[in-house]
Amino acid sequence: MPDTQPASETPTLLAVADLTVSLGHGRRRAQVLRGVDVAVAPGEIVGLIGETGSGKTTIARSILGLTHIDGGSIRLGGTDVATLTGWRLRAFRRAGIAQYVFQDPLRSLDPQLTIADSVAEGLRVRGGLERADVRERVAAALTLVGVSPALATRHPGELSGGQRQRVAIARAMVLEPELLICDEPVSALDAANRIQMLDLIQHLRDARGVGVLFISHDLGSVAGITDRVAVLYRGRIVEQGPTAALLTASQHPYTRLLIGSAPTLTGGAADRTRRTELREQLAAIETG
Amino acid sequence: MSDTALLVARDLTITGPAGDLVHGISFALQRGGTLGIVGESGSGKSLTCRSLLGILPPGVSVTGGSIEFDGRDITALGYRDWQSLRGTHISAVFQDPGSYLNPSITVGKQLAEVLRVKTGLGRRAATVRAVELLASLGLRDPALVSLQYPHELSGGMLQRVLIAIALCENPQVLIADEATTALDVTVQAEVLDVLADLRESRDLSLILVSHDLAVVAQVCDEVVVLRDGLIVEAGPTARVLSDPQHTYTRLLVENHARYGIERYTSELADA
Amino acid sequence: MFIRAIRTPLGAASVSIIVLIVLVTILGPILAPYDPLAQDANHILSAPSSAHWLGTDNVGRDVLSRLLAGSPLSILSAAEAVAIGFALGVIPGLLSVYLGRVFEWLSLRIVDAFITLPFLVFAIAMTALLGNGLQQAMLAVGILISPGFYRVTRAAALTAASSQYVEAARLVGASPWWVLRTHLWGKVAPAVAVATAGAMGAGLVIVSSLTFLGIGVQPPAPTWGGILADDLGYLFQQPFGPLYPTVLIMLTVGAFNGFADALRDAAGIAGHVRILGRTRRPQDAQTTATPEATHV
Repeated sequence: MPDTQPASETPTLLAVADLTVSLGHGRRRAQVLRGVDVAVAPGEIVGLIGETGSGKTTIARSILGLTHIDGGSIRLGGTDVATLTGWRLRAFRRAGIAQYVFQDPLRSLDPQLTIADSVAEGLRVRGGLERADVRERVAAALTLVGVSPALATRHPGELSGGQRQRVAIARAMVLEPELLICDEPVSALDAANRIQMLDLIQHLRDARGVGVLFISHDLGSVAGITDRVAVLYRGRIVEQGPTAALLTASQHPYTRLLIGSAPTLTGGAADRTRRTELREQLAAIETG
Repeated sequence: MSDTALLVARDLTITGPAGDLVHGISFALQRGGTLGIVGESGSGKSLTCRSLLGILPPGVSVTGGSIEFDGRDITALGYRDWQSLRGTHISAVFQDPGSYLNPSITVGKQLAEVLRVKTGLGRRAATVRAVELLASLGLRDPALVSLQYPHELSGGMLQRVLIAIALCENPQVLIADEATTALDVTVQAEVLDVLADLRESRDLSLILVSHDLAVVAQVCDEVVVLRDGLIVEAGPTARVLSDPQHTYTRLLVENHARYGIERYTSELADA
Repeated sequence: MFIRAIRTPLGAASVSIIVLIVLVTILGPILAPYDPLAQDANHILSAPSSAHWLGTDNVGRDVLSRLLAGSPLSILSAAEAVAIGFALGVIPGLLSVYLGRVFEWLSLRIVDAFITLPFLVFAIAMTALLGNGLQQAMLAVGILISPGFYRVTRAAALTAASSQYVEAARLVGASPWWVLRTHLWGKVAPAVAVATAGAMGAGLVIVSSLTFLGIGVQPPAPTWGGILADDLGYLFQQPFGPLYPTVLIMLTVGAFNGFADALRDAAGIAGHVRILGRTRRPQDAQTTATPEATHV
C-alpha cells in the first residue's frame, strides 16, 4: 500500500510537458494538441475536461504510446515514455505503471474470453506467476471492484453494463498500476451505476493510492470526483487548477461558459443572458 | 387534468410483440407549458413520445387509454389524419439530427422544400422564409448556413436546422426527444436556450424528453419520471427536485448532489 | 460451433456421409471383394449380380472394387490441395495484419492475379510443366485455392486486430504472437473452418475432372473420374454404368458443401443465440442497441 507522501517529497507520477501532436495524413494532417502541460501526483485525481474533438483522447493515447507525438515530453514514473519503442515499450507496458480504462467495456473486452481470462491477460503476458497465483490475483481484483469472483467464468455478453465496466477496471487494477487513465468511464452508464462507478474510482484512490487521470466531457462528474481540473479547448489547456478554485473563480471565457452551461437541478449555474454574454466573449477571442 | 391542457394522455398503454412496454401512464401538457419526461433507455419514454406523434414502430401499438389533443381524441387516428396533425399541430426533433437530412442537398434547400410542400410558398418566398426561420433560431449567419451541406455544420447547428424544419407549419406542440443528448455541454445549453426562447416568442408548448433530470430542470415546469413503463413520480419540477418521493427519483437527485457541480453553484452565484 | 453445426439436419446428414466415405477410404482395400485391376474376360459389362454388386466394366473388372480402390486417391488428392491452399492462404492472411503496407499491397496483387486464372486450365498447364502426376496437379489446385483462404483469414483477422480488446492487450505489453493466439485465432477459425469444408468440395470436383480427362493418373489405376470416363464409352452397352461414379462424386461433394453451409450457419448464429439465450437481467436488454442507448 503506497502511502501518499507530502508533495515536495514524492516525484510527480505523470508529467506531460509541452505536448504537441498532429493527426491525419498529407493535406488532412492537423495539429490536435498544441503545447499541453498536465501533471498527476500519486493518489491525485486530475480531471481533463473538454468538448468533442478537443484532443482529450489524444492526450491519453500519447501517454500510452499509441500515438506518435510531434514534440514535448511525457514522463511516467521517471521514464520518458515518448522515446520508448519496440521491446522497450513492451517491457515498460508489462510493468503496468499506467493502465487505461476504455469508455465502452463491451468493445474493450474480448467477447470470446471469460472475465477471468480478460482480467488475467496482463499477468499472463507479464509471466512469472503460478496458475494458482494468477487465479488468486484475478479473484482479488474482481473483489476489489465489487464483482463476485463467481462471475469469473462468464463472458462479457452475460454481464450488465455496470458489471462490465467494473471488470474493465479490475483488468487495469490487477497489474497494481500507479496511474489509471479513465476515458469517459461513466458516460455509457445509467444513474445508479454512475454513482457506484465514481464511488469505486475514489475508493481505489483511497485504498490503493493510485493517481487518476479522469477524462470526461461531463463537468458534473469531474466536479464531484477530482482534486484538480485541466480545461482543454481546441488542443490547448486554457486553464487548470484545484477543482474548487477553478469552478468558483474561473478566468477563461470557455471555462465560464462550460460551467454556466452545465445543467443543474437548480436550473443552471448561469442564466440565459449570462450565457449569451459568455458566448459572445468566446467568439470574440476566436476571431480576434 | 384541468381544461387548459393541450395534450393529455390518459392511462396510456403501449404494447409490443413481447408484451406491454408502457403500463397505463397519464400526464398532461398545459397550453404554453413545458413538460419533461425523464427516464433511462428502456423506460418507455421514447415510445410514449412516438405514440403522441402516431409513429410507433411496426408491431408496437397503443392498446389502452387515450391521447387527446385540444379536446379531440387522437388515439385511433388513421394515417391521413395523423399526416394532417403532424407538423401543423404536433412536431418533433430527435437525437442525431444529421441522419434526418439529405447529405447531398444544402440545408437551406431542404428547409425551403419543406416550406413549399407544407405551406404552399413559392420557390423564392420559401428561400427567404427559410433564412428567416434559421435566423430566428439564433444562428449567427443564417444566409451562409442555408447554403451549407449537412456535413459542414456542427451537431448544434444541425439540431437547430431540424428545429426550424419542425417549426415550419407553426405547430402548437414541439417534442424534443433526447434532442441535446449527443451534443457538447455548451452546445446543449445553446439548444436548450433556443427552445426556451421559442416557447416565449411563439407560445409553443414543449415536451422535453431526456435521461438527465437536470436537462429537464433547465426548461420544464412539470416533470414526469418514467421507469420500466410506469410513472414513478410526477409533479412540478421544483417540488420533485426539492422533495423527491420515489427512491429512483432520489437516486437521480443524489447523482447530482454527490457528483455534480451543484455544490459549487451557490458559491458561483455569490461571485 | 462444430457441435452446433452437427445438430442441424443438414449438418448431421453431411457429416454422416463424410464419415462414411472417410471410413470407406481407409478400409477400401479390405472391403473390396475383388482385385480392382483383375480382369475377367468371362464377365464383361455384366449387370449387377450377387457376385458383382455393381456389375463389371468393359474388361471385366469389378466396379465396386474399383470405386472403393479409387476413393483414397480422390479424397487424399483433394485433401492435399486443400492443405496446400490452407498453408499458403491462412498463414499469410494472419501475417498480413502485422507486416505492413508493402506486404499488404503485394499480397493483394498476387491474390488478384491468381483469382483470374481458371482452375482446370492452370492445373493442366502445371502437369505439362512439372510432369504428368496428380501431385503436381494438386499443387497447382492448392495454389489456386489459397487466395480464397487468404481473403477469408485476412478479413476476419483485420476486424479483430483493429478492435479495442486487441489494443487493450497491446497496452499490457502483449507480443504480436500473443495477440494472434489469444484474440485473433478465435475470430479467424470459424471462417477458416467454413472455407476448408467448402474447399474440400471444390477440390474433389477438380480431382474428378482431372482424372476424368486422364490427367495425373496412369490408366490402370482406378479413380472416380477415370471410371466415369471409361464407363461413358460403353453407354450403349451399360447405360447405368456412369451412374455409380457420378452419384459417388455428387454425394461426396454435396456432403462437404452441406457441411460448409451448416458450419457457416452455426458460426453466424453463434454469438446471437448465445447472447439471446443467456440474457436474463433487464439491464442487459437495455445495452443491446435501443435507439436511445447512446448518450455520449
